[in-house]
Amino acid sequence: MTALAVRDRTAIAGIGQSDYGRFLPDSQLKLGAKALKAALADAGLTRSDVDGLAIHLGWPLGVDYDRVAEAYGLDVRWVSQTWLHGRFVTSAIQHAAMAVACGLANVVACVTAISFTRERQILGGPGDAEGTREDGGTHGESPPYGLTAPAGGAALGMQRYMALYGATSEELAAVPIAFRKHALKNPHAVMKEPLTLAAHQSARMVVDPLRLYDCCLITDGAAVALVTSAERARDLKQPPVYISGMQGLRSGRDEFIFAPRGLGINQQETARWRPEERDLLAYRMAGIDRNDIAGLYTYDAFSPLVLFVLERFGFCGPGEAAKWVQGGRIELGGELPMNTSGGLLSEAHVGGWNSILEIVRQLRGAAGERQIANARHLQWGTAWGDSVIFRS
Amino acid sequence: MSARAKPLPRVTPDTQPFWDALRARKLLLPFCDECGRAHLPPGPVCPFCFADRLAWHAALGTGRISSWTVVHKAWFPAFAGDVPYNVVQVELDEGPRLTASVVGLPNDRLAVGLRVVVDFHDVSPDFTLPRFRPAEPA
Repeated sequence: MTALAVRDRTAIAGIGQSDYGRFLPDSQLKLGAKALKAALADAGLTRSDVDGLAIHLGWPLGVDYDRVAEAYGLDVRWVSQTWLHGRFVTSAIQHAAMAVACGLANVVACVTAISFTRERQILGGPGDAEGTREDGGTHGESPPYGLTAPAGGAALGMQRYMALYGATSEELAAVPIAFRKHALKNPHAVMKEPLTLAAHQSARMVVDPLRLYDCCLITDGAAVALVTSAERARDLKQPPVYISGMQGLRSGRDEFIFAPRGLGINQQETARWRPEERDLLAYRMAGIDRNDIAGLYTYDAFSPLVLFVLERFGFCGPGEAAKWVQGGRIELGGELPMNTSGGLLSEAHVGGWNSILEIVRQLRGAAGERQIANARHLQWGTAWGDSVIFRS
Repeated sequence: MSARAKPLPRVTPDTQPFWDALRARKLLLPFCDECGRAHLPPGPVCPFCFADRLAWHAALGTGRISSWTVVHKAWFPAFAGDVPYNVVQVELDEGPRLTASVVGLPNDRLAVGLRVVVDFHDVSPDFTLPRFRPAEPA
């Protein structure tokens, strides 16, 4: 079977979410239950239709798949478990789509639920079990030197990017400012006030060069997407949002999670890297060209990741992204709107799934004030090279 | 680990020689007996040619800052008194990069490309951390 055989075979048939906010009283499981009920109602499905579970909330943050199935009274025949990390959003969707395409499940519930505000000690410092484990964390953590939390790795990436290419903090500010504008059009967004360049520049430095508004929100919330076959989805309540193309997570010594390939962080070789054919499988699988993408959605835990994803998929060349994002280019109405619900920087940190839900709303033509006109293909892609392309 | 103490390195059989040598104030790197290349972090095999035979040899102890940051947030209570403190990645002259910190240089003089040499700092009876200082007086 060639990769192209997967094109448009599966679809997202339902989406649901809990409230997003800080210090929500609900448990992580309760937030997830609310989102699952909302997704089932959205699709016109019932709990007994769910026979697959792809969860994105396990260690180090939360419960495992068996507790999720037990708590919600599911009886599933296929499971995929990833951790709650942005790098596993694509994996969860891909595994769900492949399971459906291969006949291992009919309806897979992709469930993420987060209680970050109650468990924020895991996000750096002595409680960061992930960053202090044997052989280290994934974000360049080095606890003996006091480098902890994912932000540290993003800072190392951006600092070198600035030195190599002359990018500035003022240029970087275009990213959180754009996403704040989007959030102000989104009633679910946690952030409600405009963000100015002056406010960005005068905000406290967290880990140089990342200032406060370059770092995402720490919030609670849940999101569920239901993946089923394209055929089944066409008989359900909502217009299907097809999974048209995808490509996997890149890994190796030339990769660092918070740097474009070639930047020279950790053991990456330093080179001016540009994507080639093999780095862009998702477009080919979807039968489109990069120029057909009407909007790009990415894991914006830190604002530099938005620059890096643009270079990863060749929307601009190496070292060009900081200039490229100026002048409203990534805002609604711009050439390539990104993270139109506000992203992790201004809507909420729901592990990136808040953007998956936004893609579905956009492709249903149900994004209201935020609607991208004539959106047919939208891309989820990350700075580390994985992607899913959706179409209406 | 006490929440009040600065974290110490987690040592594995692969990294034990690295930390043992630092206690003797030596910076060693694992070199591949087959292809001759050094790698970091110390691993189980040569990541370049997948050979098993590795040998530890002294590094020159010199390199350049390849990236740096200054931490302003007191994530660790034990580092609260040090804020703001720097963390750097140093590209050693042998090629691999090492995460460490720089001493003897004000944080506002940190720069990508700056030449540095290794320094040794005892942080407990069992551990010595490599840090770096500017190759030329600041």
